[in-house]
Order: sequence, then structure tokens, then C-alpha cells
Amino acid sequence: MTHNTIKEAIENVSRREFLVKSTAATGALAIGFQLPGVAVAANSADTAPEVTHWVVIQPDDTVVIRIARSELGQGSFTGLAQLVAEELQCDWSKVQPEYADVNMHIRRNRIFKSMSTGGSRSIRDSNEYIRKAGAAARQMLVSAAASQWGVPADECRAQDSVISHSSGKSTTYGKVAALAATLDIPTDVVLKSPSDWKIAGTSPARFDIPAKTNGSQMYASDVRLPGMLYASVVRSPVFGGTLKSYDESKVLGMRGVKRVVADADWVAVVADNWWRANKALLALPVEWEESENDNVSSDSIMKFLRTGIDATDVPVARKDGDVDAAFADAAKVIEAEYHSGFLNHATMEPQNAVALYADDRLEVWCGTQNGEATIASASETSGIPLENIIVHRMHAGGGFGRRGGHQDYTKQAVKIAMDMPGTPVRLQWSREEDMRQGRYRPVSLVKLRGALDENGNWTAWHVRQADQSIIVTVRPNMIKNGVDPINTRSFADNPYTVANFVDEYAMRNPHVPPGFCRAVAHTNNPFYRECFIDELAHAAGKDPYEFRRPFLQGTKDLPLLDAVARGIGWGKPAKEGVHRGIAVVDSYGSYTAAAVELSVEGGTVIDVHRVVIAIDSGHVVHPDAVKAQMEGGVIWGLSFIMNEEITIENGRVVQGNFTDYPVLKLVHTPKIEPIIMPSGGFWGGVGEPPIGAVIPAIGNALFQATGKRIRSMPLKNHGFSYKT
Amino acid sequence: MKSRLGKARLRVPKSAKRGELVEIRTMAEHPMESGFRYNNVGKLIPRHIATEFVCKYNGREVFRAALHPAVSTNPYFLFYLVAEQSGELVFSWADDRGGAVTEVRTISVT
Amino acid sequence: MPSVSRRRALHVLAAGACLLVVRPATATREALVTALRETFGQSLMARERVKLELPLLAESGNVVPVTVSVDSPMTEADHVSAIHLFAERNHLPQVVSVTLGPWNGKAEFKSRIRLAESQQVLAVAVMSDGSLFSDVADVEVTYSSCG
Repeated sequence: MTHNTIKEAIENVSRREFLVKSTAATGALAIGFQLPGVAVAANSADTAPEVTHWVVIQPDDTVVIRIARSELGQGSFTGLAQLVAEELQCDWSKVQPEYADVNMHIRRNRIFKSMSTGGSRSIRDSNEYIRKAGAAARQMLVSAAASQWGVPADECRAQDSVISHSSGKSTTYGKVAALAATLDIPTDVVLKSPSDWKIAGTSPARFDIPAKTNGSQMYASDVRLPGMLYASVVRSPVFGGTLKSYDESKVLGMRGVKRVVADADWVAVVADNWWRANKALLALPVEWEESENDNVSSDSIMKFLRTGIDATDVPVARKDGDVDAAFADAAKVIEAEYHSGFLNHATMEPQNAVALYADDRLEVWCGTQNGEATIASASETSGIPLENIIVHRMHAGGGFGRRGGHQDYTKQAVKIAMDMPGTPVRLQWSREEDMRQGRYRPVSLVKLRGALDENGNWTAWHVRQADQSIIVTVRPNMIKNGVDPINTRSFADNPYTVANFVDEYAMRNPHVPPGFCRAVAHTNNPFYRECFIDELAHAAGKDPYEFRRPFLQGTKDLPLLDAVARGIGWGKPAKEGVHRGIAVVDSYGSYTAAAVELSVEGGTVIDVHRVVIAIDSGHVVHPDAVKAQMEGGVIWGLSFIMNEEITIENGRVVQGNFTDYPVLKLVHTPKIEPIIMPSGGFWGGVGEPPIGAVIPAIGNALFQATGKRIRSMPLKNHGFSYKT
Repeated sequence: MKSRLGKARLRVPKSAKRGELVEIRTMAEHPMESGFRYNNVGKLIPRHIATEFVCKYNGREVFRAALHPAVSTNPYFLFYLVAEQSGELVFSWADDRGGAVTEVRTISVT
Repeated sequence: MPSVSRRRALHVLAAGACLLVVRPATATREALVTALRETFGQSLMARERVKLELPLLAESGNVVPVTVSVDSPMTEADHVSAIHLFAERNHLPQVVSVTLGPWNGKAEFKSRIRLAESQQVLAVAVMSDGSLFSDVADVEVTYSSCG
């Protein structure tokens, strides 16, 4: 379904009203209208012609490929389908990806394995088993055709959905799928070598792009059901606080208001449209219990982090050589402190979910990064067993880590729906609620020391981190001896072969709830590391690119550093007023580097001209999608470093909207030059890696331009802005 | 250190027929601090858990649970008993700081 | 409405056959094997007669409802004397041990347990004649996803 104009799209809105009808077969409510990307009931029915549970082939040769992970704009919906189709050797023009149905997944004992979309893992974690499924399906189809013809399977060829035999017999996948579906799934399949790829490794039109550009893409925010009511919610603005009292009598008489629903730490108003619900919510008298967290501020949090820098006995994340001796012998010691605050995912689509509870069954619609997290949360909140819950996964209007493990909006929607059986409820957070109930990129304060010998060689460095752990609440058993292995990334796993190094980690957790925000620790640690290395180079009187090279010999990082240096023209004079910065970072299984050129006008207005960004992700499934992720990652990084900051006053978030939490504007986008250089032999992620590299490259170029070393983000706090 | 073992809550039938299978539900308030959680400066919070739950029926031990840190906060057990004679059901909990709680219920069996 | 009792295809074995969880050896796996040996003197036991019910998914893993029931007449001569629960990847493999007797009438109990991460849970029943039976179930903890 495509529309050539927005006008057409609007005129067709009535066609997009969703019809709810019961189906006798499943006994469950199911959408009777096709939503792009959402599992169609017919293809989810257990009787669909499945050739392995990953592939449904219809008689007309349509190849439905079931996708377990979520499409967040990163292109996985297409990329994962390419990998299956490659091994299946089907006609790509007939491929339709669909989300694997979560309820089916539960009933069949987690048959689609992980649905978790995060950590730049979708392709690297699942490629092997989905490719095997494609290969197995191809074998089954060939076996089916061969058995019908009475010929050996190895005399048959399968290509582009056609199976042929040397005798001239020929058939299509669609014609033999039903028979193939009855065969055992072979386990000994051989995967194709990436050098033989015909579909993977190319850039076919993505399935998600057209609808997203012409306004016809459906998100959970667009779901409308007959009899639906709308809810707006406010949760304790001071994190961890509880609801003390509210006076619903003040709003129940307001126009359209139906009900007020509350839980231990939130209260919601339900009305016949969202604006009325939200208006009433704003008018609702609400009191929250007081707590000591009411006094927390960004300043007090920084003081708290400082106790980590000043502490004497701090867990050691990594220790090489003898830093004390090296520092004692040093000709020069450089010391610096870096820090950055909280960041919000600020997804374009604020958190929301639709829930319908009826007859001991629950139906949920939401954009989610993990269909399993959604159904598990819905089950635990409602007490309804998993198999009685249907989750309709929609493409998310931005995930970035906000829509994975934290299913707070789902739980709230389910609670409200349980209060109103038979009525679909659409819970939509206001933008303010979304800004103030985030799961934020944690605060951090880092002290770095570096030692140079009399020749300006880097002999030692020492990092003391004081920061807020995410996994301490989410997965505490990953913490070993007080060290958070995620927050020490870029330091504990750094590639530089400097003989003497210590990384110490002092956990300091304020009450602000942390979460995994795209690139996680690589949104700050590489800035601290790569900018500090530049400080060492500067103190040594050496070129920052040349300074790094000896300590990256033999690493997979070095070719990336070299590639961006070449790309930016490092070593050749830059134009007048143009300054360069460089950085190299590996993360999420991939290796990246960035080199930028920028100018600064009037000492404060930054004009980024070029960003050369390189990645080695091992393999590349959809080159254009990788390029888009690199461009998007650069934009993400440019936004983080300049504009974005969540501050805390009186225990709560100050910011409320994009007016006080500005993100990068289109006009600020520089020329981005991606270099994709897969070296093969491993599978690295793509969604997050570019971010780690671009942020410090900007910081380093800024020093060259101004002579002032900036050691904290965002740059706007230092008076900078991007040139408009 | 002080025990945080709190009140017990029980669901026990008041009467039953001889030979009837009765369902017993029990819960005691206890944080069941596992010893594997970290405080806000990265130090482990000391373990404090309920370690034992015993039910006696007219003096005979009819259910015993040895609890480890993986039992959830406010330990809950549901189990069954064959109603034999009228008498007393005594429920006791103990924890690792010397905390002890006992609740008694009578059951009439006809 | 059927309860959620799952047997993964990999673990379905003929009655009386030995069970061993089909996972590569890890430090926690060894801790479990050691705990089984210390408790029972062995780490292999038949997967039958015991039904371990856990939800397929848990959100945070903090409060996971569990039901263990054992097929047994619960007579003086033939009853379940103990049921032990173990979690493969928790810090400590032991979860809870329950003592039973013919006076229970039904070899079944329910509780609520904590699972530190996605893992396999094992229930072992000790019969009055000393024989051992078991069941396993996998639970996926979803809160720790992402990152």
C-alpha cells in the first residue's frame, strides 16, 4: 500500500480504521486489516504453509519471512529477511517480511528465540540460525519437488523460487510448499559463503522506508479501535516517589472524562479523546509523598560522583604493568577531569501502548524493542497467563534502548485496561511525561592521568571512573568485584598497547533511573579517552594521529584510523580556518574511526564541514542501511555533544520538551562521508558503533580550532552552538 | 543486627472432613535481602533472609522449607495436608538474625 | 486452560533415561553439578514423575511463580519425602528445599522465586525409597534485554 502524496494518504485514513473481529480459529481478537509489517492473521495461523517456522510460502509464491527482532529504523526488518532469502534462494520480489507473532512464539516454546533488539545485535546474534532456517527451507522444498518427480534431490536446482531438474521438469516454491511443510527440518545444512551472496550484501529497496516517508506508516500511536478511550498519565516526578492523594471529583465532571485510574506511583485520566484526558490530568489535584530524593539536584549529584574520584579503595577494572613506577619516572604527567550529564532517548514517538482486556484475554499494541518483554510485562501486571495475551508489535517511532526492557507504558496501559474490561484503552504519554520519565544515559565523572617520557612517548595512563551503573538494577550478576563491565567499556577494553594502565571504577548511583541509551557508555567514555589522548599528544608536541599509531599496531582498529585520516586529508594542509580532529573507537563488535573538519566563528559558532566515518563490521548485509546507520549515528553524536542535557532540580527532571531539550536540526547536518570496509570473518554491529567515534573527533577538532580544551558535554554549556 | 521478619499471613480452612485434602497458603513479611544486591556506592548489601519455615499439625511436623536467597521477598508457600484430627496447626518462621515468628490456627475435623 | 508446562524438544528423553541439561559447561553449570552431587551424591537423574511449572518468560525475575508437583500415591510406603529446587545461573544454585510426607496427601507446593537471569531451573524429588526423579524448565528473563 503506497501513496504518492500526503493528500492521498490523508484521504485514505478511513481505510485505515482498524476493524476488530473475532476469529473462531484462534478464539482471540485479531486485527482484520493489514498493517504494514504487522503479522497478518492468516500468516500467523498455525495452519499456514510453514517451511520451517521462519518462512511461510503461499501458493502464489509469496514468501513471508518472519522477523523476531524489531524494526526501529535501523533496517533490520529488511536485513534479516535478506539473510533468510539468500539461503532460501527465493525470488526476492516476492518476499514480505512480517513480525513473528509473539503469542505463537509463546505457544511454541520460544521458537523464534530472542526478540530483543538492542546492543546492535539483531544481525550479528541471529544471522546464523536464521540463515540455517533459510537453507533448511530450501532443502525441504527441493526434497518435496524431488519426491513428487521421483528423482534424487541432488539432481535438482533451486533458484529464484523455481526448482528445476535436468530432465526439464520445473515447479515453483509455492506449488510444493504445502508438501515441504510436512517434511522434517534438516539440521545439517551448509551455509553459503558471503562471497557467493546475491541478495545479502546488496541494497534492495527497504520495506520500511516508503511508508515512513509518505506519512502512511502506522505506529502504535495510530491504532484506533471501535469504542476506544484515551488516557494520559503522570508518574511521580521525583523518581521512586509514591502517590499520596488525588482528588478525582475535580475532573470527573470535565468534558469527555470517563475515569481516573491510579496505581502506587502514577495516576491517569481516561477520556473520549486524548486532549481532554490530558487537560483533565493537568487540572487534577495530585499530591506525591515526600522523600529525601526531593532535594537531589545535578549539583548534588556531581558532588556525589566526586566522592568516587576522591575515594581511596576503589575496584580495579583492569591493571597492566606498574603505573605507579611509570608515573614516578615520567618526564611529564598530564591530568584532566572530564564529565557529562544525563541524556534522554527522546524518541520521536513518545511512549504509548494500547490495551484491551476482555474475557480473561489481553491484547496489546505497542512499538517495542522486545516482544517478549512486552508480553512478560503484560502478563505479570495483569496476572493473565502468557498464552492468553496477544501482542501486536508495531514499528517503533524510535527505540534507541527506551523500548526494550523498560515496559512501563505497557504496564500502565494494561493496568488501566484491566480497570475497564471490554474497552480498548490507548495510553499516550505527553511529551513532557516522556522527557521526565526516561531511562537516562547515566552521569559520569572521570579523572585521567597520563605519563610521557622525555621523548614524548606515552608510557602510562590511569583512569578513575565515578559513574552510575545501569546493570546494577537490570542485571546485577554481571557486576564482578564492584566493577560494571558495561560502563568500563572503552577503558577496560581499550586497544592501545601502552605497557602501564589502570582503570578504576567507583560506582555512584543517584536516584535518577538509568537506561541503555544508544551507544550506552560509548556516548561518553570515548570522548574522555580520545580527547585525553589528544591532550597527551599535544603535551608531547606530536601529531594526534601519529601519536596513536604505534600503540595500535596489529589491531583491527588501526586500518580504520588510517582510512579516516586518508579520507579527511590528514597531513595535507586544510583550508584557511578549517581544523581537524580524529578519533578511533571499537564497540559492539565493530571497529570505527572518525575524522572531522570544522570551523569556529566568533569563538563560539561551530560549522562542521565534513565528517569522514569508517566502520569495519566484518560483514555487511545491506550496504545502504549501514551507510544510513553511519549517517544517523553521526547525527546522533553531533546532537549529543552540542545540545542535549537532562538536568535535575528538586529530585526531578527540569526539561519537558524539545524547546529545552533541543536535538540536532537538519540544517546542522554536515557532509558525511561513510567508509564501509568490512574485513570479513566476524559479525559486528552497526547501529551504535559510529557514535563513539564522531563525538571525540568533534572535541578534538574544537581544540585545534580554539586552543581551548573542552572536557565536558554538552558544548552549549560552554557557549557553543552550531552555525545555522 | 535486628531481624526484619514481620507478620505472617495465612489462609487455612477452619474445618474439614476427615481424610479431606486441604490447601494451606502461607506468607511471612521478610525482605529476603539476598546479599547479591549492591547499594548506591557499589557495595554489597549484607544478606538477611528467612531460612526456615515449618508447619506442625498436632505436634507432628508436616511441612518444612529450607529457604535460600533465591526465594522472593515475603516468602510464600502453598501446600496440602490431609485433615486427620481436630487440633492445632502451628506455623513458624526463622531467619538468619535470630528472628522468629509463630502463628497458630485451629482446625475442626469431623 | 492448560497450565504452562513446557518441555523443550532437546530435553525430551525416554522414560528412565538420564537427564543432563544440554548446555556447554560454564562456571555456573559446574556450581549446579557440584550442588547436586553434594546434595544427592549424583548429578544425573531420570526426568519423569515430576512436573515443574514456571512461566516461559519473566519480566524482572524477582517474583517468578513456581509450582512443583510429583506423581506419587503419598502413602506411608510410597511417598515423596523431599523436593529440591535449583537454579542453574543464580549466584547460589540452591533455591528452596521442601520436606514432605504421606500426611500431605498431595506432593505439590507453590512458591515465588528469584531468577538472576535467563536460565534453567531444576526440580529434584526424593522418594521414600531413596530414588530420585526430576524435571527442568527454562525461564527467559526479559528485563535484562538491551545493551
